[in-house]
Amino acid sequence: MSTLLNSLTTELRRGTLTLAVLSQLRTPQYGYSLVQLLEQCGISIEQSTLYPLLRRLEKQELVTSSWDTTESRPRRYYVLTPYGIEIYQQLKKEWEKTSQELSLLLKGEDNE
Amino acid sequence: MRMIDLYIQEVTRRLPEKSREDIALELRSTIEDMLPDDYTEEEVKSVLEKMGNPAILASGYLDRPMHLIGPRYYDVYINLLKIILPIAGVISLISLIATTMFSYSGDEAALNIILDLAGHGIWEVLSTGIQVFFWLTVVFAIIERTDHKQSQTPLTACFKEWTPDDLNNIPYIPKEKAISKVEVFLGLLWTAIWASVYFNAASLLGVYEKGSNGLEFVTPTFNQEVLISYWPLVVIVIGLEIALDMYKLKTGHWNRKIAVLNTVMHVVSSVVFIIVISNNQLFNPTFVTYITDLFSLSGDFGNWFAGGAIFIFLLFAVIDIYQGYRKSSLQK
Repeated sequence: MSTLLNSLTTELRRGTLTLAVLSQLRTPQYGYSLVQLLEQCGISIEQSTLYPLLRRLEKQELVTSSWDTTESRPRRYYVLTPYGIEIYQQLKKEWEKTSQELSLLLKGEDNE
Repeated sequence: MRMIDLYIQEVTRRLPEKSREDIALELRSTIEDMLPDDYTEEEVKSVLEKMGNPAILASGYLDRPMHLIGPRYYDVYINLLKIILPIAGVISLISLIATTMFSYSGDEAALNIILDLAGHGIWEVLSTGIQVFFWLTVVFAIIERTDHKQSQTPLTACFKEWTPDDLNNIPYIPKEKAISKVEVFLGLLWTAIWASVYFNAASLLGVYEKGSNGLEFVTPTFNQEVLISYWPLVVIVIGLEIALDMYKLKTGHWNRKIAVLNTVMHVVSSVVFIIVISNNQLFNPTFVTYITDLFSLSGDFGNWFAGGAIFIFLLFAVIDIYQGYRKSSLQK
């Protein structure tokens, strides 16, 4: 892949990352389990983007976090707050609307 | 494992003290999650490679920008720099000239002083420029870091976001018609130079010869008493030039009125120039002899020189008058 296409693809995906992460946080997840969940769906995310993103979401009060020390190694779990759920639902609607509009545009092009 | 410790240290040392411990703990648990139970150094390396450059990871945690001046302030910054730099340069130059003139004792040849002044002037303007650039940059870097608004929209010169109303504050001037500040400044500088040469002609204009103390003044070009007797006329011309430059600066573009005033100024100064230079007592006899000997000229040097000077002076005046009318009659 050319570098230009690469950077355009990254840019295209960047905006959807927040939505992807929020969608997986309806149940509590820790960092690595989140990476695995996303990867199962084919979404690869830079580690150096994910962890800071989680902190930012916490600062914006969309998620809360807590340490779980019951297992062999302590893990920090993140889960959506009620406010986070609300924002997630609205963001999801926005995404569905955008993807419909865009697929309409792209389909129109194919017919020509 | 030492490499993991070092990696975590590399990230956390870039973070504020209070969040270090928490982030360190989370990073360690994440890195260990990614590794199998019995890991080798190679596996650690590949995991750390996935985590990426510690500086980038740390900057992700920080809200602080990774640039000195971002898109929001860049345009304002550049515009201010363009306004302040020339002003600061001119002020430092003027203050340098003023100090030199007040401390002039009259011992040294004037040309030496001028050469000295040019050298110091360049140095002074450069160092003032660097100072201005440095402090303005520091101020903007601080503003960039203390402004916690989410918006990244660039700001206009009044530190507000752009609205269509801002267009009303910009006069529409075609490039050809515009009178730039540089043009006015050069005009004023020219007036200042010829005026100071006129009033100091006795010690400035003349024959210089290389002596033991650098250049030494041998004999002045003009008969100073005759030259200076025209001072009221010269002051009128100086006044006219400065007034015209000020008016040009205020108006900002060529129009009919400025073209007419420009013509008046040139006519007056040409008349004064011709009156002064055609006085046959003007040139210092010693100087005329010196030049005549030096170039082994025949004939009257004074007349020959005056004629040439008048021709050149009128030529430039006519060109400038014509340009003034041409620019003022350009269609928008």
